[in-house]
Amino acid sequence: MKKFWALLLTAAMTVSMLTGCGGSSQPAQADTAGNEAGSDSTGQTDTGDNAAQDIAADLDMSKTVKIGILVSDATTAEALAFRTYYTEYIQKQYNVEMIYSDELTDAAGETSAIDTFITNNCKAIISFSSFDRAAQIEQCEGAGVYYAVATGTLTDEEYETYKGYEHYVGAIGPSLDVEFETGYNMAKHYLDQGTTNFAIFGGAIPYYTEMHIYRAAGMITAMVEAGGDGASYQGAAVKDAIIGQIFADGEVKTGAIGNVNILGYVGGYDMDDAWFGKCAQMAQTTDLEVILAVGNGSDFFGTAIAGTDVKIASVDAYASSYGEAMEAGMLDYLAGKFSASIGPIFIATYRAALGAPIRTADGNALALSQGYWIAENVEDFGAYYAVDSSVESPAYTKDLLDTLLTADYATFENFVGKYSFAEIQNM
Amino acid sequence: MGKDVIVKVENMDKCFGTTVALNNVSIEIRRGEIQGLIGENGSGKSTVTSIISGMQKADNGKMVFKGEDWVPDSMLFALGKGIGMIVQENGTVPGITVAENIFLGEIEHFKAKGIVNRKEMMRRAQEALDSIGASHIRADEMTARLDMQDRKLIEIAKIMVKEPEVLVVDETTTALSQMGRDIIYKIMEQMKKENKAVVFISHDLDEIMNVCDSLTVLRDGKIIVTFSKEEFQEDLIKTSMIGREMQGDYYRSDMDGSYGEEIVMELKAVNLDDQLKDFSLQLHKGEILGVGGLSHCGMHTLGKVLFGAVKPSSGKVLIRGRELRDEADAMKERIGYAAKDRDSESLSLNASIRDNIAIGGFNRFALRGFLVLPGREKRYVQEQIDALSVKCAEMNQYVSALSGGNKQKVVFGKWIGRGSEILILDCPTRGVDIGVKQAMYQLMYQMKKEGKSIVIISEEMAELIGMSDRLVIMKDGELKKEFQRSEAPEESDIIQYMI
Amino acid sequence: MNKSKLKNYMMNLTPLFGLAALFAAFLILGTIRDINISYGLKSIINQSVVVAVVATGAVFIYTLGSFDISLGASAAVSALIGGMVYNRTESVFVMAAVCVGIAVLIGLFNSVLASVFNLPVFVTTIAMLSVLNALVLVLIKVNGTGSEIAIPAAAVKAINNTPFKIAVLLLFLLLSIFIFSFTKIGRMQKFQGSNPVCAKLSGVSEKKMAIIAFAMSGIGVGLGAFLSIIYAPTLTKNTASSVGMDVIIAIVFGGMPVSGGARSKIYAAVIGAFSMTLLSQIMVMFNLNSGIGQMVKAAIFLLVVFLATSDQRGKMLPR
Repeated sequence: MKKFWALLLTAAMTVSMLTGCGGSSQPAQADTAGNEAGSDSTGQTDTGDNAAQDIAADLDMSKTVKIGILVSDATTAEALAFRTYYTEYIQKQYNVEMIYSDELTDAAGETSAIDTFITNNCKAIISFSSFDRAAQIEQCEGAGVYYAVATGTLTDEEYETYKGYEHYVGAIGPSLDVEFETGYNMAKHYLDQGTTNFAIFGGAIPYYTEMHIYRAAGMITAMVEAGGDGASYQGAAVKDAIIGQIFADGEVKTGAIGNVNILGYVGGYDMDDAWFGKCAQMAQTTDLEVILAVGNGSDFFGTAIAGTDVKIASVDAYASSYGEAMEAGMLDYLAGKFSASIGPIFIATYRAALGAPIRTADGNALALSQGYWIAENVEDFGAYYAVDSSVESPAYTKDLLDTLLTADYATFENFVGKYSFAEIQNM
Repeated sequence: MGKDVIVKVENMDKCFGTTVALNNVSIEIRRGEIQGLIGENGSGKSTVTSIISGMQKADNGKMVFKGEDWVPDSMLFALGKGIGMIVQENGTVPGITVAENIFLGEIEHFKAKGIVNRKEMMRRAQEALDSIGASHIRADEMTARLDMQDRKLIEIAKIMVKEPEVLVVDETTTALSQMGRDIIYKIMEQMKKENKAVVFISHDLDEIMNVCDSLTVLRDGKIIVTFSKEEFQEDLIKTSMIGREMQGDYYRSDMDGSYGEEIVMELKAVNLDDQLKDFSLQLHKGEILGVGGLSHCGMHTLGKVLFGAVKPSSGKVLIRGRELRDEADAMKERIGYAAKDRDSESLSLNASIRDNIAIGGFNRFALRGFLVLPGREKRYVQEQIDALSVKCAEMNQYVSALSGGNKQKVVFGKWIGRGSEILILDCPTRGVDIGVKQAMYQLMYQMKKEGKSIVIISEEMAELIGMSDRLVIMKDGELKKEFQRSEAPEESDIIQYMI
Repeated sequence: MNKSKLKNYMMNLTPLFGLAALFAAFLILGTIRDINISYGLKSIINQSVVVAVVATGAVFIYTLGSFDISLGASAAVSALIGGMVYNRTESVFVMAAVCVGIAVLIGLFNSVLASVFNLPVFVTTIAMLSVLNALVLVLIKVNGTGSEIAIPAAAVKAINNTPFKIAVLLLFLLLSIFIFSFTKIGRMQKFQGSNPVCAKLSGVSEKKMAIIAFAMSGIGVGLGAFLSIIYAPTLTKNTASSVGMDVIIAIVFGGMPVSGGARSKIYAAVIGAFSMTLLSQIMVMFNLNSGIGQMVKAAIFLLVVFLATSDQRGKMLPR
């Protein structure tokens, strides 16, 4: 009998927790929407009715569109910034409900999460997770749910396969060329200042992550160009050869590139004592001037360089911790993603879900490139960060994004292509 | 009976589900008296004392202690007010020291400024141990390292340190050797002298008749009769306990003690620590071999060695001429073993009667000794239950819900059912009612007559003498003396070889 | 007496009622919130079946009162090697056989190692967890592209359907029930779990029981690995990483006593696995963030364990 009552208690507790949570989240949402309607004339309630009529007579935005978001990372600064932009800004401006997955760890998790989204009537899925891109696209196509890649791109081969899929919306993110250029510009920034002694942090190169390989290849290509006559990296002197060399090695080799030197290299994210030991050792290499990181550098090397003249350059996002690192001299240069960069892909997805998809001139899925904001000093960083972290007026505001709701492909492409801080501010 | 009544129970009822444990029980406990409570398992004797000492509550009825209404809400409360009980089950915590066990729940008292004064606690604990005559236990020892008897003594010390006015001793002595028993007897005598009261519960009729001043018999939750010392008469008490006159022999009546020529098992110069020293023994077909001695003489280890459960460090254990490997091998050779510690070694309490009997009987009911068909299994188990008249609701009942005697019947069923030819029985009648005891003795005798061999290891002289064809006495791991049944040894003859 | 028998019977069925209640809740709430119920049911099966299969095998280990913390890692290694073998042989059948074979070998290694060193088995499984996790990384590094081992999705498309998965689960479940309830082995396992000392004195070999239990669990792990590949043919270092923990939760959830023994039930694993998935699905319907979802799960987990043990606590009747 006792057991029965306890069971009943469990049931009651579960139900109350569930309904309690479900119940409270709804009015909270309504509240914030109401507040905004009070202070700003373009509140959510307006969006549903007037705004829809204003912007596009053929887009019916009165029904809430559920969009599933796949995430494989729920804790890093970048991931949190993206999430904040969607849940704290986009979701309040548009009549959409974003359902986030748990932190996915493998391809099976992706499949399960998509199944769950479909069950819950999500009309579209935006993916930040890439364990098995092909499987995700196939699954969504099969189920008739729109699918978009939030950050990153497909390989050329993948794009060729899927570009004609009706439910594949496309990808907007740094293309591999942009990644290459990011690395190239980073190295060049220092080479132009006369720096010759570098070390490279290779991030996920040992795992053959393309974007990191291209960034590193960009850095090395810049070094080859600056290294003087006959300079080469392991015999490779042009972009493609250098990329091929890194792919073959699964790492960056240290050594001289003409006048320029790669004094140290660490790759992987082992995060064990031995690995941290290697990081510290590399940071303290004699004559080292700059550590170029294909990803986050300051977290792994910042402490080790304290008190020295060594500088660190990173690729990541606009997070407050990097501002602090810059002020503390642990970070000198940041190529960072801005959180609103995922605004256009949202619009593309939303349009598809509303029945007005945007396709290329040939009727294919989107494959647009978008780059980073480059902060070369604390002042730059401060300005960028202020915009990036704002949930009231982020880089891409509703007003800007609204223009995309009815835009044609050329306009859309042009909009996305103007991604630098200055360009967006001028829009 | 002019003595003061210290505890008075009136019209007490208590049910466990549909089982009536107490039915309108009224009883008086007097100062300066050792009052015995006797009855078969399930008769309600432990229930009534556990209610008096605060372990559980009655459904109905009234209690008075020292003239005031008595409604204890816990054992600790009762002990604080002057009623303490030494329980049947083990009540010590193994992972802590003896002293911590004695002052369990009261360590606060030794705290000054948040620090426990261990020295003082140890001193007081040692005092408590010394005062009951258990000086051989050190207060700073880890409880887990002590044997069952010493742990029981710790419990006694824990109760006695509170100087209770009423002491309930519930089946405690069955777990104890003579020395432990003497300690308890002394405490009881002392309490009686101090005009305090003792309630003594035991299965052992001889013991209870020796120790008690009056004796109350319970049966099926009711008080049947109370005898005063001068009215004590064994037959009368037994009859009132089981509600009918005992039919037939208690032990076996023949005195010839003959057995077969064939040697079924043999130990040759077996050594094992200080438990067995150069020990040799033969067991014959159709023989009941008694093994007696004090608790630590090595006889319990001997039982395990005979079953292959413990490997001797040297010497040979032979079964029909070849060496015995392990328990599974012993079972293949039709050896069965009932351990002394029945609840933890011979039975799985949290499993059903069916599970406990079936585990030994695969050779009998499983197809090819492997495939278990529920119908065949149930039939097999039911046969054993019927053959031994196990009192139970049904075969899927948990063994933990059975009385001691019925538990032992399940153990017997497990071994007899599978067709054991050799039974090694370590304290087989410990905690078993007289009625069941008699049935078991007759069963053993029957098996002997069928040519089966039985080893009875026991601390009860009477049953060894009553049952054995041959009786060996052990002391300190050695075989001290061997008696033949025909010699008709007396207890006093035997004891001198034990101590 | 009949009443208590009935009560006992009902108690045994409590987890089943729990599953039914969750199922009903899913249907009712799903209807109210207008979700795609038929799709949802299919996805619930997909999401439960791997854990259900692995947990079914693991019940044998839990019955002994032991546990294996390396099940997830073992499934990952089996799946990876299975995937590698597929890429060489292009035979799904060989891949399945290799998955099961490897998992059984790992299980046997666990139990034999424990028996050689005379350790409790779960101790060796802790060591195995590290070894297997390292092996996962090595396998991916050496045989894969560095971050994954993938087999073509088309290869398993034909069997990536609900009936096939249910069939695998049912077959293994039937085999397990047969061994568990209708052979000497299963009965000895339960007895061993409920009182190892008494089991030893009843001729039950602890080592043999452990080896059999780990072999059975290995079959479950292998089948689970195989089903994982079918479900998601791209295997990474995190493949099956959550399986280990999910199995533990599912088994307890399904009403299996944590200490093993006589009250052990094979079907607990299946009930538990499906209950868990249903619960997750119900929570998704309310768009709870995963933190709150985990808390609800944890609360229910504790209650289930409390219920399971409270039954035993009540058994201390003095007489």
